[in-house]
Amino acid sequence: MAATALKEQLNGLVNSMFAEGLLDEQFQQLQMLQDGSNPGFVAEVVTLFCEDSERILADLTKLMDQAVVDYSKVDAYVHQLKGSSSSVGTQNVKLACIQFRQFCEENNQEGCMRALNVVKHEYYHLRSKFETMLQLENRIQAYETKQQN
Amino acid sequence: MGEAREGEGEEIGNKGGGGGGGGGGGLGVVRVLVVDDSPVDRKVVEMLLKKSGEMFEVIAVDSGKKAMDFLGLNEGKAESPKSDDQKIDVILSDYCMPEITGYDLLKAVKDNICSRSMPVVMMSSENDSQRISRCLAIGAEDFLLKPLQVKDIQRLRNSARPTAPAPSQDPKRKLPVDLIAQSNGSERRPHLAGVAAFLLEL
Repeated sequence: MAATALKEQLNGLVNSMFAEGLLDEQFQQLQMLQDGSNPGFVAEVVTLFCEDSERILADLTKLMDQAVVDYSKVDAYVHQLKGSSSSVGTQNVKLACIQFRQFCEENNQEGCMRALNVVKHEYYHLRSKFETMLQLENRIQAYETKQQN
Repeated sequence: MGEAREGEGEEIGNKGGGGGGGGGGGLGVVRVLVVDDSPVDRKVVEMLLKKSGEMFEVIAVDSGKKAMDFLGLNEGKAESPKSDDQKIDVILSDYCMPEITGYDLLKAVKDNICSRSMPVVMMSSENDSQRISRCLAIGAEDFLLKPLQVKDIQRLRNSARPTAPAPSQDPKRKLPVDLIAQSNGSERRPHLAGVAAFLLEL
């Protein structure tokens, strides 16, 4: 029964992430790709996304700290992050990246700095929800494994 | 993430051999070379291919340069595949990649006598009509918008070379050692049940 309660908690969390705009229908596509033979697929994708995003955000921070900002490089990184957030269905991060790219096109340093902060804010908010989501999934998996043994 | 680990081999059992694919007129395994610098996108595409019900064998690389190395296209050398194991039925490449872009890769494939007949399907997150036209003009079979959906896999299948029916499979098949990769410190176990799609990542 504990597993049932955990599953309800997990469903509630994911539903709230959709309602809040953190996730979009692309995330549902990923959920549909997961099945019994690939039970960890969503977790793997989420983990990859988080690692990749943090790498990109670190690189963006360094670029924006330069005395002379190379906007084409900044744009390339933001494009990458926009792409991966689109593939995972992390809507708010994607939208923040789109805005960021606008400022890159304008070579607007102040705008880019603000946009970077927005992207970071959206990403870290999302990450904490993903962490909870993965913890719940792991607990559910542990219960179900215990039940089977 | 996605790093090749040398010196390791992996035995793969291949269940479900024989026909079963739809579209494109072929019944055998379709070997897809996926070229994308995004580890997230590679992962998602690989799973889409695995779940599509077609017989896809996926080889994934993270750069245009590695794709050209794999295809024997570097430095203008016209090399044909060394063995049947390296024949590719379709290349699926991202457009935007650092250094050697998908467009550069497409051009290299089409400029080379040995490879020009190989189907190349481009993909991009940008719905840029000029970009699409450029690629189609120099011989891309199709241009898919990211994120890919299930329906795009059929388009990919239709673009691939017709394949011969899959030969009767040995119960175990050794993979080339330098094509095995790990990501996130966790081993990737090939998925064997149902669709026989096994994954190699450079």
